[in-house]
Amino acid sequence: MIKFDKISLSFDGKEIFSGLDLEVGAGEKVVLSGRSGIGKSSLFGLVLGFVEPDSGSVFFEGVRVDEKSVWDLRRTVSYIDQDVSAGYGKVSDWLSFVSDFKANQGLDFGTERIFELMDLFGMKHELLDKSVSELSGGERQRIAIIVSQLLNRKVYLLDEVTSALDKVLKPKVAAFFMENPDWTVISVSHDPVWLESGNVKVFDLEAMEWKR
Amino acid sequence: METIDISIFSLSLVFLLLIIPVLMSSVYKLNMIKSMVYSVARMSVQLFLIGIFLKYLFLWNNALINIAWLFVMILVAVFSAIGSSSIKTGKVLLPVLISFSAATFIILLYLNIFVIRLDRIFDARYLIVLGGMLLGNSLRGNIVGIDSFYKNIRKDSKRYLYSLSLGASQHEAYLPYLRESVQLALKPTIAAMATMGIVALPGMMTGTILGGADPQLAIKYQIMIMIAILVSTIISVLLNIIMTLKVCFTKYGTLRNDIFTK
Repeated sequence: MIKFDKISLSFDGKEIFSGLDLEVGAGEKVVLSGRSGIGKSSLFGLVLGFVEPDSGSVFFEGVRVDEKSVWDLRRTVSYIDQDVSAGYGKVSDWLSFVSDFKANQGLDFGTERIFELMDLFGMKHELLDKSVSELSGGERQRIAIIVSQLLNRKVYLLDEVTSALDKVLKPKVAAFFMENPDWTVISVSHDPVWLESGNVKVFDLEAMEWKR
Repeated sequence: METIDISIFSLSLVFLLLIIPVLMSSVYKLNMIKSMVYSVARMSVQLFLIGIFLKYLFLWNNALINIAWLFVMILVAVFSAIGSSSIKTGKVLLPVLISFSAATFIILLYLNIFVIRLDRIFDARYLIVLGGMLLGNSLRGNIVGIDSFYKNIRKDSKRYLYSLSLGASQHEAYLPYLRESVQLALKPTIAAMATMGIVALPGMMTGTILGGADPQLAIKYQIMIMIAILVSTIISVLLNIIMTLKVCFTKYGTLRNDIFTK
């Protein structure tokens, strides 16, 4: 599904990866471990074409990620970033901004579906009228998760998506992603709740090897 | 009615007024004397030279020379606009030059051909003077427009990239920033129009009246120039952004980091 092929990457002379090889198959659930600053977020940037490698390639479903293929990829892969800088204006404005993208025409962004997802993740419906900047970190994370569900995607790149959630929600959200057999999930998280599902593989970016 | 001449002696009396800001600056340590003196000196010399130059320009009134001079004015405006922004000059010079030229020429030709109905559409008095007003007044808006567009996307890069990951095309992802920048760029012009005549007597009107024209005629010119400024500003701001997209973004739709000076 996703393959990193001899990736080397550096920022401002600082080496992040040199010759990284990593392959994640369809339906697999992978947690990336390693101390912070080791480039876990850059790895997602590479997949999404936000960062270009110095050498090596990323392949998605057998196709090399380049300036042409990346646009389709971004419509297939769901990415939730670390501090969820989601949104302009009110939450409902943000949702309609996203649903207005040409690529998202035909997806169900109806109120019923939104309320259903809000209930699932323990959010009050009134939050839709709040400005995105007023939301707490945990609320923003859940809005981003809800958006990913509205987009109906099957591949997930999750960057610390449970960091601001409470004790009840953390395992619930982790299980939500890790226990869906149809989805391919790569999660960056320090939280042990992500390791609770039985089929989770762990890749150590520091040692560049599978731990589990 | 002739405009009353100001003699060199009288003009020196104007400079005498500068004692006031100099005194204020030294009392309150505003630290502005140097920059003020420099700017006043520069302005005086520039205007003095341009006065001589315009005299000959009007005398020759040669279409080619007029167009060439207008182009020089556009060039200076372009360098000044990019220089005041945080974008590197070399990267965007050509697209900005094209945008400024297109916006200025289209509006000037429209005014000269259809509104003022000049027999000679490249007449120096109209081409240079009106062109100068258009450029001078749209300059600030253009600096604000292009600068805030790229700066905001850079500042907001996570949110911008997040939009791309949600399926936005490059156009869909930058649209909120484009709207914001154009609104910001046009705000002063729109606000100035709403209070025009009451709060301030605008430059063109003042000039025309001092030049001995009837106020009725002066307001017609003022209305014309204000609308022309509004239209040419929105054309140049939008064109500037659209034309620079190609050089400022990668083919992956991400902002190039090397376009910024700092």
